[in-house]
Amino acid sequence: MRYVRAFGAFWYDFLVGDRPELFLGPIAALVVAWLLVGAEVAPGITGLVLFLAVCAVGAVSLYLTTRPRA
Amino acid sequence: MHILVVAAPAFVASVVEFVEALTIVLAVGMTRQWRSTLIGVGAAVATLVVIVGVFGTAIVVFVPIEILRLVVGGFLLVFGLQWVCKATLRAVGARAKHDEAAIYERELALLSQEPPVATVGMDWISFTVAFKGVLLEGLEVAFIVVTFGASAGQLGPAALGAVVAGVLVLSVGVAVHRPLARVPENGLKFAVGLMLVTFGTFWAGEGIGIDWPGGDAVLFVLLAAYVGVSLIGVWAVRAMLRSRRIPLAVSVGD
Repeated sequence: MRYVRAFGAFWYDFLVGDRPELFLGPIAALVVAWLLVGAEVAPGITGLVLFLAVCAVGAVSLYLTTRPRA
Repeated sequence: MHILVVAAPAFVASVVEFVEALTIVLAVGMTRQWRSTLIGVGAAVATLVVIVGVFGTAIVVFVPIEILRLVVGGFLLVFGLQWVCKATLRAVGARAKHDEAAIYERELALLSQEPPVATVGMDWISFTVAFKGVLLEGLEVAFIVVTFGASAGQLGPAALGAVVAGVLVLSVGVAVHRPLARVPENGLKFAVGLMLVTFGTFWAGEGIGIDWPGGDAVLFVLLAAYVGVSLIGVWAVRAMLRSRRIPLAVSVGD
């Protein structure tokens, strides 16, 4: 059990680390793009939305990391 | 997809990781025993080769390409964004830069607290530290080689990029016999992060059904756009921190 927990902790640290928004954000961006594909939105527009969503995730993470703390 | 497009990201990412591994290996080898250290390095490299061979081949053979590109693209997006955000914070001084010389000194201090080297046979401390250091740094290389190689259907060129990087870093390390502190690691990590995000967007997009206008050529458009946005990000974060007069990071960092 200890090894399973350690294995899980290793992969959590490897993929999520100390910034969970950088793990969940891209997944959310892909879900939005997938919904647009399903709605038959033009590929160029869908690609642009995906790109902007990824940029937004990065911007939010940088803001959360550097925001003033009380 | 041209083999250089696959090999280049694997090469640059591998240079960064191998420079970090070299620092650990040099510290162990210089302070304890080279023989056991090199056996540890060899064992770690063999493990990584098995990981790339087994997982890379299995993924290529058994996983449908659409699912592969979605999953791999998603991972590359996550991984790449982490690298870009950390590199941005290092570029503006909000996070400590990777200082190989300082890490080398820290490793030397830690190793000096260990029991003396065995006069005969294996020095298991040298073996373990070298094995763990190379394996952990190499896992990121293996991850990038497998994901890039499998998604592009070009595992060979991706692995070749990593091998060339390994040989290059090892050769320079053997020649100078000290940590490669002058390698611009943060710049390289920034570049690798941007490449990972670019390929991640492209492949994950294909995986969910986006038929990219212009095909593979859109990769260059995406890369240029991400470079532009990230440079704006560096400028914006720096301006924000300056306006708040936040002191620069001075620790060694990870």
